[in-house]
Amino acid sequence: MQIPGFHVHWAIALIGCLVVPSVTFAAEPEAWAQQYLEQVMPVVRQKCVKCHGKEEPDGGIDLASPETTDQVIAQHELWSLVGKRIRLNEMPPQGSPQLSDPEKAAFMRWIDSSPKQNLCNQLASDETQSWYRGYVMSRRLTQTEYNNMLRDLFGVDLQVGRDLPADGAGGEGFDTAGDTLFTSPIHLEKYLLAADRAIETVLPDSTESLSEELQRARERLLAPLSGTTGTPRESARKVLDAFVNRAYRRPVASEEIERLLQLFDTTFAHTGNMLAGIRQTLKAVLVSPHFLFIGELEHEGGVQRLTPQEFATRLALLVWSSLPDEELRTLADAGTLFETETIRQQIRRMLADPKARALGENFAMQWLGLNRLGSSVRPDSAAYPEFNDELAYSMREEVIRTTYEVFRENRSLLEFVDASDVVIDEPLARLYGLNPPPRDWQRVPSGDSGRGGLVTTAAMLASTSYPVRTSPVLRGSWVLENILGERVPPPPPNVPSLEETAKENQALTFRERLEQHRRDPQCGSCHNRIDPLGFSLEQYDVLGRFRERDASGQPIDASGELPSGQKFIGASGLKQVLLARKRDVMKHLAKKMLGYALGRELNKFDACVIDETLKELEGREYRSHVLIEQIALSYPFQHRYFKKAD
Amino acid sequence: MIPQFRQYLSRRHFLRGASVALALPWLPSIRPAASSAAESTGKPPVRMAFLYFPNGAWMDAWVPKTSGRDYELPFSLTPLESVKSDVLVLSGLDKKHSRRGDGHYAKTANFLTGMPVTKTTGKDVSSGGISVDQLAAQHMGHLTPLPSLELATEPVITGIDSNVGFTRLYGSHISWQSAGRPLAREINPRIVYDRLFGQKGVAEPHKSTEFRHLLDFVLEDARMLRQKLSRDDQFKMDEYLDSVRAVEKRIAFYARAEARQWNPDIPEEAVARDYPGAPADFREHIGILFDLIVLAFRTDSTRIVTMMLANDVSGRNFSFLEGVSGGHHQLSHHENRPENIDQYQRITRWHVEQYARLLENLRGIPEGEGTLLDNCMILCGSSISDGNRHDPDNLPILLGGRGGSTIDSGRHVAFEGEQPLCNLYLSMLDRMGVPVDSFGDSTSKLSAIDLA
Repeated sequence: MQIPGFHVHWAIALIGCLVVPSVTFAAEPEAWAQQYLEQVMPVVRQKCVKCHGKEEPDGGIDLASPETTDQVIAQHELWSLVGKRIRLNEMPPQGSPQLSDPEKAAFMRWIDSSPKQNLCNQLASDETQSWYRGYVMSRRLTQTEYNNMLRDLFGVDLQVGRDLPADGAGGEGFDTAGDTLFTSPIHLEKYLLAADRAIETVLPDSTESLSEELQRARERLLAPLSGTTGTPRESARKVLDAFVNRAYRRPVASEEIERLLQLFDTTFAHTGNMLAGIRQTLKAVLVSPHFLFIGELEHEGGVQRLTPQEFATRLALLVWSSLPDEELRTLADAGTLFETETIRQQIRRMLADPKARALGENFAMQWLGLNRLGSSVRPDSAAYPEFNDELAYSMREEVIRTTYEVFRENRSLLEFVDASDVVIDEPLARLYGLNPPPRDWQRVPSGDSGRGGLVTTAAMLASTSYPVRTSPVLRGSWVLENILGERVPPPPPNVPSLEETAKENQALTFRERLEQHRRDPQCGSCHNRIDPLGFSLEQYDVLGRFRERDASGQPIDASGELPSGQKFIGASGLKQVLLARKRDVMKHLAKKMLGYALGRELNKFDACVIDETLKELEGREYRSHVLIEQIALSYPFQHRYFKKAD
Repeated sequence: MIPQFRQYLSRRHFLRGASVALALPWLPSIRPAASSAAESTGKPPVRMAFLYFPNGAWMDAWVPKTSGRDYELPFSLTPLESVKSDVLVLSGLDKKHSRRGDGHYAKTANFLTGMPVTKTTGKDVSSGGISVDQLAAQHMGHLTPLPSLELATEPVITGIDSNVGFTRLYGSHISWQSAGRPLAREINPRIVYDRLFGQKGVAEPHKSTEFRHLLDFVLEDARMLRQKLSRDDQFKMDEYLDSVRAVEKRIAFYARAEARQWNPDIPEEAVARDYPGAPADFREHIGILFDLIVLAFRTDSTRIVTMMLANDVSGRNFSFLEGVSGGHHQLSHHENRPENIDQYQRITRWHVEQYARLLENLRGIPEGEGTLLDNCMILCGSSISDGNRHDPDNLPILLGGRGGSTIDSGRHVAFEGEQPLCNLYLSMLDRMGVPVDSFGDSTSKLSAIDLA
């Protein structure tokens, strides 16, 4: 696809090259693409397009279509993916004609010389994309955000939003994606009922039955009234002045307060009860789109920097999944929040706050896909009677705390791969065969248990098992997708089944059957990547307990060999494999975090943020704070594109 | 103290309440003034429900060997024995717009639209068009307190499937207000009950005035805010605006004196309040929601229901069934191994068994000249046929009830060649009184189901 305005940006990129000499040789795009057509395309035609042709290409990867220089240039991301797969010896798959060494070298040389684009200070927009639909950024709150915001508004967890429908996810796989947050009538019904319930709970006429916690919440709401006198309307105005800008996350205009006061007037006239009038206005605030929607307002159209208040809200959503606190609001109102050092300082402060647990509970659980454990994902109760709701909770809680603490304590993000200790409670200690911590959820050394890091958590191992047996394929896919950021296409239709390929020998173990299956190149191209990773975790059963024999009593063979020829054994071997590919692991994590922060799918304009973030992480011991800081400081996090309304 | 409000009715208590409601007759005299032609003749209205089960079916154990009236029930359909005369087994119906795309998401999101699903992880989500239930709701939703009811037993699947490039929410939605707007489903029976009978929830009499004022206020907020948003963001605000209006209408419906003179009046003690959350056991959960469907139709609280018995790709563990050990999705990928196929068809049969029980319950209620079931069209089916192949043709489809005594039930009708599933939907819309000439990829009505 031809991108209008493309050459202008190349000119900018070239100027950048003159000022800061690039380490890798960056070719002219045209010459680079020409080189493809002359030297690489013949090899691709010969060795790749049989599977990756134009019609229903395997894995959705079509290598036959780039036939002109423009088409070659437009496929920037495709080439980097292809390069990775060739480098890891994953393609062409075993059993298919391989690339000769000179062919492989030429292909890699060509990919490595791809011209670098400098897109650090740009966003996808109508100007930079030929046809750009735009991503929705003004979106309603997710269920999680709604509950957290009410908690922080009132200082007490009222749990009134628990019956809201669950949210789907989009973009990079998170519920923060505006495109997939829909509003149905039942949402509105529940917002109404929840607002009613919340306000009636915190602000009843009689304070007699209020718990201490609720009493405090009530006092906070009515604090503006203490020591003052005035008409009921003036009193209501004071309460609203203090509450509404918190709820709306911005300074509120006096006309807005006036409109709310008209609502007060109606109720007050009807009941003669000031408190009833105040309750009605507060309910209105909680059902208003100003509260329920993260509204980023258009001023002139085009790419704009967010207002300081909108930026404060994005920060609070990123770290807390909630609304900005007083300090953030004050900095935003003072106009100093965009200063780099202020941002760094605030990020550190925010990560130290217990509300940052949201990074574990909300971000990490969605990233890792472990939320369904205990509900729709459950080991069979007859085969695994030890599994119950409490254990499921402990399993999930371990992942939440492990990830949250890495962020809170500015630990190395590589602890997600391997760590020398674990954060567990007593039931998990029993499951893992470790000494229980003195108090639940304390950090204890993992010793030689093989635990530490995410891939050996019970939550992961149980979530990737079927109800009655483990699945090396599901586990291997999980590691590939969630840790290494690779794609695992579903099996093509009409692929011969495990059974058909292994019919001759029924006595084979599951592993042996799977190995036979892999000899078929059509199967092997994926299973050679998946299975070795999964087999290395076979020493853990459906609940994630260590075992030496499988369900049928056969000793476990936890060795694996990757397409690259690399051999490894067991979970510790797997962790070494992953650490050796830490750049891929960190890159995937950075993409996930950025996608979560922006609430949309990433595009080529975001690649620069990822590259910069990786560079900073490598230079600063992979400290977790670096990741959040880099995102908060990035251009796409502070700017957005507003498509003009018709 | 924070009150408990995640309670639901225990099944036993609930049924006690329901029996009170069910004892009350359907009264033609209390219809709203604006009623359809069918009602002015004093005939009970036609209702329809779409019950979706995931992961397809083993078709050798589903499609009867012979067509016509005297067919033998294959293994998965054996539970239909008692209601055989009230069911049509429809084989050979196809959904051609699902032949491309992945194995699940591109098949399920359009189960009731029949049109192509857009491949996306979120941007420009589209099921291809409005779903059949929502089209009907647009035409007749104003006649009942709830225009339609969307039910499910599991929360929406979160995440995206980056391997196939689809957002997983496609696997959790069959009901679409428009191509780009899926409807949220209710999974908590307690809330379904409250919504149906308007004694609780937003239509609670002593709250409704207050709520209307609030809605007026926020509607104005939304209108003003909308003008300040960029183009795509405005579409999101439109969803909010439409939802506010829908709730306003609902509250207004109850406020009309003539709308609902009959009130189920369930005694407070019949409503257990000590069961938190939705039932943990999905069997009980499905049973209660089915009972609520009967109650909703019986009391004419809505005429249109969709329900997903589970989300697509559900791995629900069916080891409680004799001869089954494993999850539904896992076993649907049977790899042509006999022991897997055997378990797969047992799981399918369990779903048919629940369906048969629902039909029996509907048939047990007299209405007009016949039974409630005579005035219903209860479709039960899946969006693929063989789960191992993800085939979107020759779908497993059952149609229970006689659609206002217009359907020639009790037969197996086998269609040859290309026969769009949407032809059936067109025939159902026709019986609902929705005046359209085509729906989805329909080519004509499915006259083969008509009573001669």
